[in-house]
Amino acid sequence: MSAATVTSPRVDPPVTRTALPPRPSRLWPTLWALVVGAVVLAAAAGLSITWDELPALPGKVAGYLRLMFADPSWDKLPRALLETWRSISMAWTGAILCVVASLPLGLLAARGVGPAWLRLGLRACFAVLRAVPEVVLALVLLTVTGLTPLTGALALGIAGIGTQARWVYEAVESVQEGASQAVRAAGGTAAHVTRWAIWPAISPTVLSFALYRFEINIRTSAVLGLVGAGGIGSMLSNYTNFRQWDTVGMLLIVVVAATMLMDTVSGAIRRRIMEGARVRDVGRGA
Amino acid sequence: MTAVDLAGRVPARPRHVVRTALAVAGLVAFTVATCLPAIGGVELDLGSIARYWRNGADKLAELAQPNLAFAPRTVAPMLETLQMALVGAAVAALLSVPLTLWAARATNPSTPARVAVRTVVNVVRAVPDLVYATVLVAMVGVGALPGVLTLVLFDVGIVVKLVSEAIDSSDHGYMEAGRAAGGTQTQINRVTALPQVAPLFANQWLYVLELNVRISAILGIVGAGGIGRLLDERRAFYAYGDVSVVILEILVVVVVIEVLSNLLRRRLV
Repeated sequence: MSAATVTSPRVDPPVTRTALPPRPSRLWPTLWALVVGAVVLAAAAGLSITWDELPALPGKVAGYLRLMFADPSWDKLPRALLETWRSISMAWTGAILCVVASLPLGLLAARGVGPAWLRLGLRACFAVLRAVPEVVLALVLLTVTGLTPLTGALALGIAGIGTQARWVYEAVESVQEGASQAVRAAGGTAAHVTRWAIWPAISPTVLSFALYRFEINIRTSAVLGLVGAGGIGSMLSNYTNFRQWDTVGMLLIVVVAATMLMDTVSGAIRRRIMEGARVRDVGRGA
Repeated sequence: MTAVDLAGRVPARPRHVVRTALAVAGLVAFTVATCLPAIGGVELDLGSIARYWRNGADKLAELAQPNLAFAPRTVAPMLETLQMALVGAAVAALLSVPLTLWAARATNPSTPARVAVRTVVNVVRAVPDLVYATVLVAMVGVGALPGVLTLVLFDVGIVVKLVSEAIDSSDHGYMEAGRAAGGTQTQINRVTALPQVAPLFANQWLYVLELNVRISAILGIVGAGGIGRLLDERRAFYAYGDVSVVILEILVVVVVIEVLSNLLRRRLV
């Protein structure tokens, strides 16, 4: 028996086998996977795409990419930079509008701050705003402010309120009760609670979300340009329609560079805000 | 412990007057700069709002009277929108698995390869969705194909970034087991990392499916198929009653998809 153990690493295979728990049934996951796969295939078959053109697609796209990026035309660069600045302006003004509007609204919609009827009403409004695409909002605003960057800024500002206010009330509701109770016990009113218990706890999060809104707006402002709100999106749409691929290539490079630059700067500031807050908390706790 | 005693112990409030002033000044300067039309900023023309607010109010009034007789015509384009969203999310899901494992430190120890994938994904992510759609429509023609391609590019960027960052920010003790058993990196990823991050993937795939429904509703505006084309067409005819039916339908579908995906997510995670 002991000699057998030394020569062979397997000891009593039948016993260990029976000690193992049974494998969980794979039936339901497999069925679900099959159903999802069938639905996706059905959806793909239903799309009006000429599938036999698909193999030629990579070659075609590669050809266009060569047209765009092999020798991008830098003649229009000054104008592109100006339009980029216009897009950034649109994104920033929109973000400020959005944050300024969503802060009080979000506070009122938080549990424990506003009355229940106001809370439910506001939350329903936010849900509707979240579902309206910015572009649709811009199309309505166009009739008031015309084909100007102001339209873009207003559309970004209003469309963002739905999500931004939701982040605010979620932040308020995740605040621990202790500070609010302390202020209330000391005789503070609702306004005092908001100022001295809630605001110090949520301000880093809210500021960080405000910058995040700016980052989102940078991307969306290029989209609004496509419907005529001005900025780099308008320029890109025009030159794509003219099929001036070398200029389109340059514009895409500018869009990517500007977006990544803004993301980096804003991301660094956001990290500083959140980490600064954390250090201060530790300092107070100790 | 008396109150006086305590007051003596409370540390001085930290003050950063200069730093705060600089930060505020910087913010104000940037904000003012973005509002100067002379250098390309936004012209805050409040006068135009005062003069033309009636136009917008009229449009809203027209939008408030949806022409429900138009609803049957929206069914087919809406179906196309949903199909595009689903196919885009499915293709992106397939592509995102290898790319994510490639872009995370724990599953890909080779730095050059990881940096390469991350750079590509970051560049892909920096281009807005409708910009892809515009350029792709010009490349491959009007229809659902540029729409699906747009959604795939957009989704892959999001899923790969979020999931690979989630992998990077957690510990992976279980992968040691695979390494100790002498597995290659591919085997370790397949047997340990993949089952571990599967819920993360499922969560993000559902999220991009929601996003896709939102986006594909407007992709048609630049000619990439779906209900957006109908929206744009009716708007061009100033048929705001029809436009409002389309918008309402988008609202309903987006909310339904959100509720469904929340239900699914609660079961999965």
